[in-house]
Amino acid sequence: MNKTINRPFFQITKDGMLAAIDKMLQDYSVAALTEKNKNVVFDFVKSSAEISNVYKPTILSPKKFFFPQEEVILEYTAEGKVTAIIESKPMVLFGIRPCDINAKKVMDEAFAESNGDANYLSKIENSVIIGIDCKQVCDEDSFCYRVNSQEVTTGCDILLYDLGEKYIFEYKNEKGREFAIKYFGSQGSDHGAYDKFLKEKESNFGKTEGPFKDLEYLPGVFEHTKDHPIWEEEAKRCLSCGSCIMVCPTCYCFDVADELALNLKEGQRLRRWDACMLSDFANVATGESFRKEVSNRIRHRMNRKFNFLMRKHHQPACVGCGRCVRACLADISPKEIVEIITGEKERE
Amino acid sequence: MSPQLNINEKDEKLYLPEIAKVTKVKSFTDQEKFFEVELASGRSLNHDPGQFVQVSVLGIGEAPISISSPPEKGSRFEMCIRAVGPLTRKLHTLGVGDNIFIRGPFGHGFDKDILDKLSGKHLLFIAGGIGYVPLRSLINMVLEEKEIYEKISILYGCKTPQERMFPSELDEINSIGGNVELLEIVDRPDNNWKGYSGVITNLIPRVSINPENCIAVIVGPPIMYKFVIMDLLDLKMPKKSIYISLERRMKCGIGKCGHCQMEGIYVCQEGPVFNYSYVANNKEIF
Ligand SMILES: Cc1cc2nc3c(=O)[nH]c(=O)nc-3n(C[C@H](O)[C@H](O)[C@H](O)COP(=O)(O)OP(=O)(O)OC[C@H]3O[C@@H](n4cnc5c(N)ncnc54)[C@H](O)[C@@H]3O)c2cc1C
Ligand code: SF4
Ligand code: SF4
Ligand code: FES
Repeated sequence: MNKTINRPFFQITKDGMLAAIDKMLQDYSVAALTEKNKNVVFDFVKSSAEISNVYKPTILSPKKFFFPQEEVILEYTAEGKVTAIIESKPMVLFGIRPCDINAKKVMDEAFAESNGDANYLSKIENSVIIGIDCKQVCDEDSFCYRVNSQEVTTGCDILLYDLGEKYIFEYKNEKGREFAIKYFGSQGSDHGAYDKFLKEKESNFGKTEGPFKDLEYLPGVFEHTKDHPIWEEEAKRCLSCGSCIMVCPTCYCFDVADELALNLKEGQRLRRWDACMLSDFANVATGESFRKEVSNRIRHRMNRKFNFLMRKHHQPACVGCGRCVRACLADISPKEIVEIITGEKERE
Repeated sequence: MSPQLNINEKDEKLYLPEIAKVTKVKSFTDQEKFFEVELASGRSLNHDPGQFVQVSVLGIGEAPISISSPPEKGSRFEMCIRAVGPLTRKLHTLGVGDNIFIRGPFGHGFDKDILDKLSGKHLLFIAGGIGYVPLRSLINMVLEEKEIYEKISILYGCKTPQERMFPSELDEINSIGGNVELLEIVDRPDNNWKGYSGVITNLIPRVSINPENCIAVIVGPPIMYKFVIMDLLDLKMPKKSIYISLERRMKCGIGKCGHCQMEGIYVCQEGPVFNYSYVANNKEIF
């Protein structure tokens, strides 16, 4: 648990924050929680007045700002001139929550490791990420507390704590410090307020079930349960629709496709979100399919979250945001799968 | 501790292919064509046998294709392409002087570590169908200095005699003699076929194998390597003396897109060449 020692907590009134956002808007595109057709979504706003005060989990995660659903990676001409397209704009992402901050850590590492992906990394480089901590679980489908992703260590530049009439905040790095000085101004610090926030948060999360049994050992548990009956059982219900992947903040697989303009003189190469739950994801040209059965694909998806990628990124690659649970027509839940795999619970 | 994110090491050319020209084309069969290409930059691929390149035709797409020529200095290299879909069919329409686009080489092939382990050994190459294409890079390389190996056995199986790749090279290999042997088999022989007929595993008992000193390298479809491996293990060959090269769907070639994953392994990075002992327990190998 984070302690207050040596951590400066500055304060800013809610009105001060709105003014700061309007100031940012002169220099940055600002994306924040906003209402669209009765849903809350993360989207670009034109004024601080458009920002929604109440947090509800969004259908799509903020990963779309760094890893868009569809993105041009090359442009070319019929003569054979090819250009890499790497686009980013100065952007502030305001108000992302601990689960999504932890998901961003997974994405950051995935796109940075071994071959740094400029399309993703340049967008991160050009952004300032302002997180808001959660004091309690947001709804019944979220299970951040089971994977400790309600805790933020890194992954954002500035972290805000909502104290009703004001925010207190801390910066997580130099970029956040410079940004806070420029846009938030100096409004004094308030350590006592953080202690109060933390106490309430601990008390709220203390009432949950807490982390999964054997959380740190899940990669080993998953490695040894590849023949568990649960994969077949879940497969009976799964529709292989791929919705769970589309909404997941830590899924980063993609497809690549070429598109020619109508004049046939220019074209683009695009990358698009893809889903390992779709039946043809692992097919090869000679006709073999290496994950033909639905059960193989569910096992793969869950092993990516709690085994393969967890080993790689040293944190569960499921942050318990609950988006896939809300999106799934078959009521398939990673939480329930882990609980059954670890023997913590029996199937109802 | 999680590793530090180093944003400065981003690669702006990760997905940018470089231009190359087709310098030679030859048809082997209705479906398979041989291509020699040269990178316009004059750069040498500097590849290890077993590695692949991502080949593009702009406007159509990109796919992984094995480098079939042995590592050499110079900017030319060879590939053999089977027309199965939009991209590979388009490639078949290209002629000398046409542009194609290349990224790579990618993947883990037979690097120096592995090659060092091969000297003094009996090398047993087992290729099924188009699997001869990726193997050819290593085969032609070891044939250059065949004296440093105890023996070189090449087992090659195809569906029909017409599907044999590089037929004139096979004839040359056949005439080398000494410590080099080539055994061929086809599923469906025709009247002119003088070799063996049946499946590739029928050839294994025809080679004298000392499991202690033999290294096997297998490339072919899953159904083929499955049965070949079973037979080699029955002959008491240790798993670590067997290498295989695997084909998976690949979109990026550099460990991002997720398509090539075989359980936790990114085949495009850790493979396509694997020591069998490393993947023997993988549930998604066949
Ligand atoms: C490491 C490696 C090395 C390779 N080396 C070579 C080589 O040296 N030579 C060579 O010829 N090939 C090689 N391949 C295979 C080659 O990459 C594929 O054949 C290539 O992707 C075909 O591309 P395409 O666009 O022509 O066809 P694709 O569009 O990929 O389609 C090919 C065929 O498969 C079918 N198909 C495509 N997608 C699906 C799907 N999702 N579900 C069901 N069926 C589908 C299509 O209907 C079509 O008949 C290699 C592959 C790998 C991974
Ligand atoms: S959303 Fe549900 S039904 Fe659709 S693929 Fe995912 S688990 Fe299966
Ligand atoms: S698997 Fe589901 S709960 Fe876990 S991070 Fe992805 S969408 Fe959220
Ligand atoms: S081909 Fe994209 S991850 Fe291997």
